Amino acid sequence: MATPVPVLRLPKGPDPNSRGFDPNSPRFIALCRTSISSSAASESDSEQLQKEQHARSVLREGFLRCLLSMTNKKVQFQMYENVKVEATFGASDIDVLNFQVSDLHTPIGVQKEALIRCQDVISFTFDI
Amino acid sequence: MAMRQTPLTCSGHTRPVVDLAFSGITPYGYFLISACKDGKPMLRQGDTGDWIGTFLGHKGAVWGATLNTDATKAATAAADFTAKVWDAVSGDEVLSLAHKHIVKTVNFTQDSNCLLTGGNDKLLRLYDLSNPDAAPQEISGHTSAIKKALWCNDDKQILSAAEDKTIRLWDRSSMEEVKTLTFDTSVSSMEYVADGQILVITYGKTIAFYNALSLELIKTVEAPASINSASLHPEKDFFVAGGDDFKLYKFDYSTKEELESYKGHFGPVHCVRFSPDGELYASGSEDGTLRLWQTAVGKTYGLWKCVLPEDLGTESAEQLYASTPEIKA
Repeated sequence: MATPVPVLRLPKGPDPNSRGFDPNSPRFIALCRTSISSSAASESDSEQLQKEQHARSVLREGFLRCLLSMTNKKVQFQMYENVKVEATFGASDIDVLNFQVSDLHTPIGVQKEALIRCQDVISFTFDI
Repeated sequence: MAMRQTPLTCSGHTRPVVDLAFSGITPYGYFLISACKDGKPMLRQGDTGDWIGTFLGHKGAVWGATLNTDATKAATAAADFTAKVWDAVSGDEVLSLAHKHIVKTVNFTQDSNCLLTGGNDKLLRLYDLSNPDAAPQEISGHTSAIKKALWCNDDKQILSAAEDKTIRLWDRSSMEEVKTLTFDTSVSSMEYVADGQILVITYGKTIAFYNALSLELIKTVEAPASINSASLHPEKDFFVAGGDDFKLYKFDYSTKEELESYKGHFGPVHCVRFSPDGELYASGSEDGTLRLWQTAVGKTYGLWKCVLPEDLGTESAEQLYASTPEIKA
């Protein structure tokens, strides 16, 4: 008497209210066109475009160096809903979707290890 | 301890599912697109069958659907006389290519730069997607509606199957017919397996395997019923077929022996395809559903969970399986 193979759940069906393609899915965030396209001025002027691209590279490099120097330091995160938390920064994932932190001080206690969702963060500060 | 196959049913379509295609394996897994007579092709996660999105825009039955290798683009062929190209990440329509009749089949080249279409106007069209406003190249020759067209031999050649009971091999650069296979009856489906250059063709109750370059017959296998579609496992040890008796059949490719058969669909099976990793196969039916079937029944994969004999007392298979399908609000 054979037993049917158990399944964890059934496949999810379509959402009756939307056409799908969740913009918060990792694939969408990673693959969709950059939300900030080059400015209209530089579309036509290649020299302007080069300057803009250079400025973008400088900003990007600065951001990445900032993440590097934050490692193992105490960082204060200002988040939505007037939430301010402090934690020791560990690392960011490749798409800057999540920050891995330790000793996250929250109003309901200290979380030893946590992931902070980047889209919830407004700003963060730390001492170099 | 024998395990019984539990197919996973993907609901959502409201009319028969006539075509389906898998993408290649991407960093986000692999994906599945289904063409349906309800005009709304759907994208699903390949290993779980979870719905990801519906491509909205066609105004008629969608007869053919395909994904490019990395699942960033989709193409569909429809009864509204258009073939459309879609961004498969955002679901947006990218291009609408007007035809003079019902479009039945679409296929991307490996680099996704060229789209092949075919349909009831009996012409094969090659669209340069980097230059979509340019007129497509046209290949004529078939004397009836084209049902399926595929790129083969490293995109250097094209294979097409039509209602004129022929399968023709064309050279892309010369646009000339290289070889023709003639049958007594219309071919119901065609699959090209690049690795090994094998062409899988179905007609009547027969599943035939041909060398895709020479169009020489390798072998034929007879099934118990009229077959509409078949697919060869990536490792070429099995093939699966489905047809008018609503069942799915699994055969051993070397011995031609029928190994397993499954009931489940409530209507004829129109299309069946193995996933790129060979772990499951998907079938689309007249009953409006897609079903996912395990290649190795009982293995832990996707939503299927292997239960060891000692766990069977505590964990009832019925409890896990008998949950109602959830509809995301």
